[in-house]
Amino acid sequence: MSVLGVTAIVVFGVASVVTGWLVFRTDSMVRAAYWLMASFVGVGAMLVTLDSQFLGLILILMMAGEMTIMAIFMVMYMMNPAGLNPMVMVHQHRTAIAAGVGSFLLLATVALVADFPADPAPAGADPTAELGFELLGRSMLVFESAGVALLAVMIGAVAVAGKWGRFGDADAGSVEPPLDPEEAAS
Amino acid sequence: MNPVVSVLFVGGVLGIGAYVVAVLDRAFGPVSRGPRDWFVWPIRRAAFLAVQRRTETERPDAEAWILAPALLAALAAAGLTAVPVTPSLAVADVSAGVVLFGAAMIIVMVAVFLQGWSPNSLFPLIGAYRFAAMALSFGIPFSLVVLTTAIPAESLSVGAIVASQEGLWNVVRQPLGLPVYLVTGAAVAFWGPFRIPEGTDLAGGAVLEASGSARAVWRIARAGVLVTLSVMGAAIFLGGHLGPVLPGWAWTALKTLVLLAVFVWSGHAFARMRVERFVWFGWVVLLPVALVDVFASGILAL
Amino acid sequence: MIELILVFSAAIFGIGVYGALSQQSFVMIMMGLELMINATVLAIVVFWWGTTGGDPRGQLLVVVVLAVMAIEAAMGFALVTAVYRARKADITEKLKRLRN
Repeated sequence: MSVLGVTAIVVFGVASVVTGWLVFRTDSMVRAAYWLMASFVGVGAMLVTLDSQFLGLILILMMAGEMTIMAIFMVMYMMNPAGLNPMVMVHQHRTAIAAGVGSFLLLATVALVADFPADPAPAGADPTAELGFELLGRSMLVFESAGVALLAVMIGAVAVAGKWGRFGDADAGSVEPPLDPEEAAS
Repeated sequence: MNPVVSVLFVGGVLGIGAYVVAVLDRAFGPVSRGPRDWFVWPIRRAAFLAVQRRTETERPDAEAWILAPALLAALAAAGLTAVPVTPSLAVADVSAGVVLFGAAMIIVMVAVFLQGWSPNSLFPLIGAYRFAAMALSFGIPFSLVVLTTAIPAESLSVGAIVASQEGLWNVVRQPLGLPVYLVTGAAVAFWGPFRIPEGTDLAGGAVLEASGSARAVWRIARAGVLVTLSVMGAAIFLGGHLGPVLPGWAWTALKTLVLLAVFVWSGHAFARMRVERFVWFGWVVLLPVALVDVFASGILAL
Repeated sequence: MIELILVFSAAIFGIGVYGALSQQSFVMIMMGLELMINATVLAIVVFWWGTTGGDPRGQLLVVVVLAVMAIEAAMGFALVTAVYRARKADITEKLKRLRN
């Protein structure tokens, strides 16, 4: 890999880790969604550097749409829609930090200690075309299964989120959130 | 291409293109005082915005507000890099070029949302939501018609797509492609009948609070998105640099100019659409038409 | 090179674990899950790039993971909508009682 490639990997890697961290450090829901998108763009750029142009770009394309949907959902359902007020909404904080740091240390140790076989992808090949032939050739069943799963999820998501339910309208008998914070806490 | 030359090339194309858009807009517009005025008006307008005082709002998301126009301009530039202007001259004719273009045009949604959200003001926020609703409706048909042009070429690279139109342009081979592309393209640039997030009923919507240089950059960037859409449309539907007698770059410029004129003209020829009607239109009309386009091209390719 | 990228991947995964466990808001929990999938994609691609000799099945696996990501997002948003309709709940603490 060239010097430029290594530099790009380091820059994008650090950027995607930092922006991923900022997702949970920001006070604004919209910023959180777009920090997450920035993290995905960083990973997408690393994928492009690793000869997987198609996958990297598809990842970015998917995430841009998904993050906007996410921002809309947050403003629809979550508190503090458009503000920058201080916001800490966490539970079991210490356990979560320990789990996060623990999983990082475990995986990083494995990454550094394990001995990986060195068999790099050939330089001259066109991975995009190879992936296309693989998707619609030998591994068509896998690809089609993913498609069928997505179709099932579309139907399932509409069924779950729809206003109608098995026992009448889904919001029948629903409870408005209490306006009094003390009552909300109890 | 050399990196420095690439930056100058992309910047130059977007800058000249944005100026052409402004000139055409004046020419087609309701207030048109002859050719001299067409060419002077954009400069006068830019000079006015350059010295205008910046509006301030209460507790804006300052960083996002500054970055939103820059993001829009960067997306226009990123989309432009994949297009070969002549058979041998492209900034980066990557193997997944149309996917790069599609990704850049989908992220426009993020730029508009940030622009509307960050001033912490009511009408811009409504404009941002309108564009999000709109973008989710036109995103899929737009991506489908762009990717369909890759079927006859058997490659996602824009260079290969242009080369595959040697005998027959995609505008003839995929008759549904270009109309859907023009409609959704105008919607990507929220131009003309789809000026929904910046509608006059919202007193300017997403850009209501933007003034001075921020507004100027936003306008230029939006014209740049329109230029990128036209260059790409010329390449994937009208055969790009292919054509007799004239050199390749001249054909690209000519076809781009035609598409730009259509885009800008549509802004003055049609009334603005309401957002809920556009959402209906996107899912019920554009999406099935785009799917028919995909299936027809697939059958033709077999 | 592989080791370096895997460390980046591990860091993103760790942040995702932290987010998914610590956040109260449903959508923020989903963000944690997304970060974990993001790290997975990166790890798969670097293994494909460095250790498989360019076997396209490595990339195929990423396509499957992207489908999983879409499924996670769609079902997540559907469940958030359903819960909000029934309970007007936006954080996990409001769901302590599963009946009524």
